Formats: sequence, structure tokens, C-alpha cells
Amino acid sequence: MKSAREDMIASLAEGLEPVRAFNSRDGMGLLAIAAALTFAGVLMIKGFWVGILTGEASAFFWITNGLLALLGLASAGAVIAMASPRVGNRFDAPVWLSAMMVVLPIGALLSSIPQQHGLGAIVNDIDGVHCLSHSLLSSVLIGAALTAWLRRGATVSPNAAGWFAGIAAGSLGTLVYGMSCSVVSITHLGIWHIAAVVISAILGRIIVPHLVRW
Amino acid sequence: MIADEATLARLMVAGQKGDKSAYNVLLSEAGLWLERYFRRRVPPHQLDDLVQDVMLALHNKRATYDPERPFLPWLAAIARYRWVDHLRKVYKHESDLLGDNDAVEDSHEEAIAARVSLERLFVQLPKKQAEVIELVKISGHSVREAARRTGQSESLVKVNIHRGLKKLSALVEKAE
Repeated sequence: MKSAREDMIASLAEGLEPVRAFNSRDGMGLLAIAAALTFAGVLMIKGFWVGILTGEASAFFWITNGLLALLGLASAGAVIAMASPRVGNRFDAPVWLSAMMVVLPIGALLSSIPQQHGLGAIVNDIDGVHCLSHSLLSSVLIGAALTAWLRRGATVSPNAAGWFAGIAAGSLGTLVYGMSCSVVSITHLGIWHIAAVVISAILGRIIVPHLVRW
Repeated sequence: MIADEATLARLMVAGQKGDKSAYNVLLSEAGLWLERYFRRRVPPHQLDDLVQDVMLALHNKRATYDPERPFLPWLAAIARYRWVDHLRKVYKHESDLLGDNDAVEDSHEEAIAARVSLERLFVQLPKKQAEVIELVKISGHSVREAARRTGQSESLVKVNIHRGLKKLSALVEKAE
């Protein structure tokens, strides 16, 4: 038994090739490239909503997108760290930030219920479905980049990595797409933009673990 | 005597740069560390296979070690992951029992070993799940025997094993 192990060690050492050690900066770089390409695609296809620069963006616009940025960065940071495993790793920030995001759809619903046709307006929001689908499309490249990073790495928590990759891709994709969206009501942002993050998170949990198990 | 954390980390960094002799020493030392790490959590005849499996994982994933971080928590995370995987696959009716005389002895790094140990995972499980995993997956008893010993029904033993392994899998990295 011992000699089998010794043979294996000798064989592994003999065939050893230098490798570039993992560095979280590489992961952040990959994420930045994916986000920049997505942004460029959104600019080319949908254009940039100039209201952001001329003060037409509501407080809800800034709050929603600010929270999406925080959630996206925290989740992406967790995914990048997960590629290099370590006992004692804890990823509480994206969990708490996800809980914080729940405030937005709840606020949107509570503010719309007292209004006549309030809920109907949310459901019949054609811009909402449009934003949902385009936000999800904008999440694809970021999700793919994070999944590729995890595949290069050695995540030992594939399910959690799937959740976080989905949340990160959904948040950052929606954030980037949101730069072209001129509908800035709390009901639109709180329901339809956040729905994209929820759907992306679920897709991440379903798809990513199968791709990153080793 | 197994090399200390700083030495192992230095050897690993040298291994990442392609230093074959340092890597040879590292793998030998890691093998000894893993043998001790798994000793009470794997039947003796499966120990060497599991150690070699983790060493192979170490080799294949050596780039994922971040030189700015300690080595043993990285190795322990991989070891836990492969161990849970091993428990999932292990043959249910193995009958080898673990002896009580193989406890970790004279470890010069007990603090680190304890911090990253497999016991830390087990204490996070509900008692009923931990005891059936111990009986069936580690000591090799049949589901029927585990049911008789614990007073749980056979189907409950299976459910508790499934739930316990799922929870262990989620705790690989998190549990300190």
C-alpha cells in the first residue's frame, strides 16, 4: 500500500509542470471584462439613457441600482474566493444583501396595493417583461465568466457557488442593463428588475453545480 | 513527524513553481497528514485509497492554492470534499470496524488539526444523522443493523443518511 503511494508521488513529482497560482485579482479582471463587454453590448443595442446624467433618474433608480451593485460585487467576490477553497471560508455578506433586496419588491407591492389598479399595473407592465428578459440576457456573459472561473478552480461548495454565481450574474447583468432603462418607478424597478435577479439565482443553483463539480 | 504549516506552505509554493524535489517532499508529508486526518473516519482498508485520491486532487488543483493563505486549511477543504464524496460512494455493507486505539497521537500541530478536523463537521449534524452515518458509512454496518442499534426505522436511517450527507456537503468550507 505504502509503495503504491510512493510510486504515485514519484510519478506526480516527475511529471510536475509549473503552474500559475490562483489570484483573486485574475478573477476580478475576468469579471470586469465580462461586465464591460455586456455594457458595450447594451450600449450598442439599447443605448444609454441620458436621463441618468440630466437628473431625471428617481431616488428609486439610484437605490435599486446601488443595491444591485453591492449585491453583485459581494456575490461575485464570494464566487471568486470559492474557486480557491479553504476551511473557515464564510460568505455571509451576499446572504444578508440578498435579504436586504427583498425590501424592494415588498415596498413596490405595498405602495401599489392602496392604488386603484395598482397590482394590475404591475402585471400589465409591458416594459417590465421587456426589462426582465433583457436583464436576463445581460446576465449570461457574466454568469459564464464566473462559471468558467469556478471550473478552473476547485470549489468545494458547488451548490452555494451556484446560488452566488446566479445572484452575481443577475445583479450585475440587471445593473448594466438598467443603464438603458428609463422607467424609474419603484413598482417597475422593485418588481421586474429584482425578478431578473431571482430567476438568475435559481438558474445558477440549477445549472452551475453540475458544471463545477470535480 | 509531519512538517509544520509554514514548511508545507513553502514546499507548496515551490511545487507550484515546478520544483520537483520540494513537491516530492510535500506530497509525502501531505500523505502522512491526510492519513492521520482520516484515520478515525474511514475504515482502515479504504484509508490509503482515499489518501491517494486526495493527493491526486491536490496535484490536479495545485494552482488553486493561494500562496498568501495558509496551506493546511486549503488541503483540509479538499480532503473534506473528497471524504464526503467517498462517503456517498462507499459500499453500504462493509463490515470492518474501526479500532479505538488509533487516536491522533503526539501531534505537534493539534491546534490546526483540530480546527480543520472532520469532527468539526460531525458535531454540526443532528445526533440521529451523525450516528447512522457513523454506523453505515464509516463502520460499515448494514442499514438494518443501524436501524436495530439506533431504534430508527430502516427508511428513517436512509433518510437521515441522505440528509446528513447533504448537510456535511454544505459544511465542507463553512465549519471551522
